[in-house]
Amino acid sequence: MQFRNLLIGCAVAALAAAPAWGQGGTLTVGLKAEPSSIDPHYHNLGPNNSMAAHYFSRLVEQDDKLRLLPGLAVSWKPVGDTTWEFKLREGVKFHDGSDFNADDVLFTFERAPNVPNSPSSFGTYLKGKSFAKVDDYTIHISTERPYPLMPVDMAAVPIISSDVGAEVGTADFNSGKAAIGTGPYRFVEWVPGDRLVIERNEDYFDAKPEWEKIVFKPIKSGPARVAALLAGDVDFIDNVPPIDIPRLKGDENVQLSQGVSSRVIYLHMDQYRENSPFVKANGGGDIKNPLLDVRVRKAISKALDRDAIVDRVMEGVAIKAGQLLPEGFFGVTPNLQPEPYDPEGAKALLAEAGYPDGFELTIHGPNDRYINDAKICEAVAQMLTRVGIRTAVETMPKAVYFRRASRGGPDNSPEFSFILVGWGSGTGESSSPLRSLLHTYDKDRGFGASNRGRHSDAEVDKLIEDALATVDDDARLKLLQGATELAIGRNQGIIPTHYQVNTWAGKKGLSYTARADERTIAMGVTSDK
Amino acid sequence: MSARTERRAQAVAVETPFRRFASDFFESRIATAALAVFAVIAFIALFAPWIAPTDPYDLAQVSVLDSHMPPGAEAFDGRVFWLGTDGAGRDLVSAICYGLRISLGVGVMSGVIAMAIGCAVGLAAAYFGGRVDTLIMRIVDIQLSFPSILVALVLLAVLGKGVDKILIALVTVQWAYYARTVRASALVERSKEYIDAASCLALGHRRILFRHLLPNCMPPLIVVVTVQTAHAIALEATLSFLGIGLPITEPSLGLLIANGFEYMLSMKYWISVYPGVALLVTIVSINLVGDQLRDVLNPRLQK
Repeated sequence: MQFRNLLIGCAVAALAAAPAWGQGGTLTVGLKAEPSSIDPHYHNLGPNNSMAAHYFSRLVEQDDKLRLLPGLAVSWKPVGDTTWEFKLREGVKFHDGSDFNADDVLFTFERAPNVPNSPSSFGTYLKGKSFAKVDDYTIHISTERPYPLMPVDMAAVPIISSDVGAEVGTADFNSGKAAIGTGPYRFVEWVPGDRLVIERNEDYFDAKPEWEKIVFKPIKSGPARVAALLAGDVDFIDNVPPIDIPRLKGDENVQLSQGVSSRVIYLHMDQYRENSPFVKANGGGDIKNPLLDVRVRKAISKALDRDAIVDRVMEGVAIKAGQLLPEGFFGVTPNLQPEPYDPEGAKALLAEAGYPDGFELTIHGPNDRYINDAKICEAVAQMLTRVGIRTAVETMPKAVYFRRASRGGPDNSPEFSFILVGWGSGTGESSSPLRSLLHTYDKDRGFGASNRGRHSDAEVDKLIEDALATVDDDARLKLLQGATELAIGRNQGIIPTHYQVNTWAGKKGLSYTARADERTIAMGVTSDK
Repeated sequence: MSARTERRAQAVAVETPFRRFASDFFESRIATAALAVFAVIAFIALFAPWIAPTDPYDLAQVSVLDSHMPPGAEAFDGRVFWLGTDGAGRDLVSAICYGLRISLGVGVMSGVIAMAIGCAVGLAAAYFGGRVDTLIMRIVDIQLSFPSILVALVLLAVLGKGVDKILIALVTVQWAYYARTVRASALVERSKEYIDAASCLALGHRRILFRHLLPNCMPPLIVVVTVQTAHAIALEATLSFLGIGLPITEPSLGLLIANGFEYMLSMKYWISVYPGVALLVTIVSINLVGDQLRDVLNPRLQK
């Protein structure tokens, strides 16, 4: 009997000590995608920006709903029509012990748009702005026209130390030599394909995070990532595949966190070529591009059973979409609802447009970028085929897809006719997708950069440009809503299908604040104790 | 007198090479069963459009509303999915029938083309010898020194997707095996008197190569054909599993297995398991037939 009590005592003690993590422990995180570099200005890409947020701070930070918070700047305000003033935080130290001041900010803004071989540059946020140091802790940023989005832009650029020198290269960051920031964690090592290790910065200027050390492990395959969590190899994973969610919900050792993202998944149609390469008459002959006709685009939208996509392809983990951002974000209009499923109406519209027997189409999409992207392409093809638009599906890895979708055709034009893409609004307001997806393509002015269907409407352009130069929030909201209603409601410039909902999973007792920008930030992982 | 020698004795009465071959082959019950299974699979593959309840490649007949239904579930229109459906709502019975069609078609076609190329090249090497032989066999050596999956991956990455591209890739990785096999046996045959005799009659190269040399190199070739066909089917499945073979709307067995793989953890086993079983049965039956052919055709194992 005594022996038995002893056994029970041991078991209880073992249970009490069971969670290996806890205050000050190590957290192991399984990531779907690892960064392409540690250099925070090399590649403006989700995984890079997520990781950089751990060891670099920005002037302005964003919370889980993309609201702005003070970062390295304690306050900001417009001074005059075209100039913003940022007051910097005093007493902040870099990981190497040196002091942070305005010189570091100016050094960063000089370097960030000019990183050699950058696949996607931070110039978007910095070009067309001039920077001036007022004193060690004050800077002025000026633009030609009034620019309300200045603080949001400043939330995108990680600040590096000027001590690394102007000659610093991307390789110096990857080795860790130049990876010196002011963030809550300091960089330890990166072994591409295997792990990225960071340690808590004990001198961090703001609230210190819970975990002493974080090990990020890239696990690309969804089932493998879930299996690693269930086996206890990792404590926390991102991008839980929707199909595994019901099972994980039933597992008492696992805790899920879910949140709506600011990413809309949509279809973009060729709206500028008379002969579009992947649109054919029935039987394969050439026809005049039917996608130029707004009635055909409307028919495609009606043919989509968005409920089926959400319920069957996304396992209920998505929200059907009728515009650019889900409810609750700035610029959302109450006048646009998701188009109801109406196959008969779609057929009637096709007949009215002169295609009673439909036509042939190929949908192109990525197969490793968005949640279930290839399956959505297939479901869209099924639905369109059913109303008479015989649709073939071609999917490819994102590395190939985006290059071809943006500039794979002659003269760097978009190669495809009908594509599935997504757009996450980093600013949390609809000006971001409007200017990139629906404004007329204008390379020199930075408009329509991802307008792969080349939707073009002077009225919409004017509303967008006015909105981008209106500092008053109420007036800007009206302009953005107006532009969205025209570009999507009237023109069907793009066809939104759904908003992504992201899911993270951790061991029991670990919660995560789901972020609208889809980032996996270890500071947001907290234990319940 | 044992039953076997008795049968032998009867057979001798009307013995032709084919009859002897057939009776030797059917001595093994396993091989006989394997051949029967293979015949059924080949039948299904050939007549898939008439056997399968639906056309899984016709998007108008497939609906995501039917996606991942368990085996035996009923669709809203009353059809029964005996083996369930996959993630896109395809009936797995139909998908497996059509998948077999692609797998067998690609396997056999690539085998035949690779054999034609390999035979011609291997015979030429053995018959002409010298520099021709050295050149050809070094190319074969280089080809064989790369793993076939690697060569196929690189080729498909360059060529893109599609059945024709898969065929090209499979032929490229396979012809060298045929060339080497044919050359080895042709070298032995070439030094025999009947070839000298044919040469003395001043017969043309082509006639000697294809009418005299080739028929006598057949036995090992037949064995290699079966083994390589099974290999090609497995390779096609591997390539599709890796997602670089065929378009997702026209899945072969490998792609069906790959698609089902992501549902494994959520206990929707049928999407991967049934196509996997079909693939396994196909390859094992071909290999069993091939093994028996090797036993029967190998003179050293002749009883």
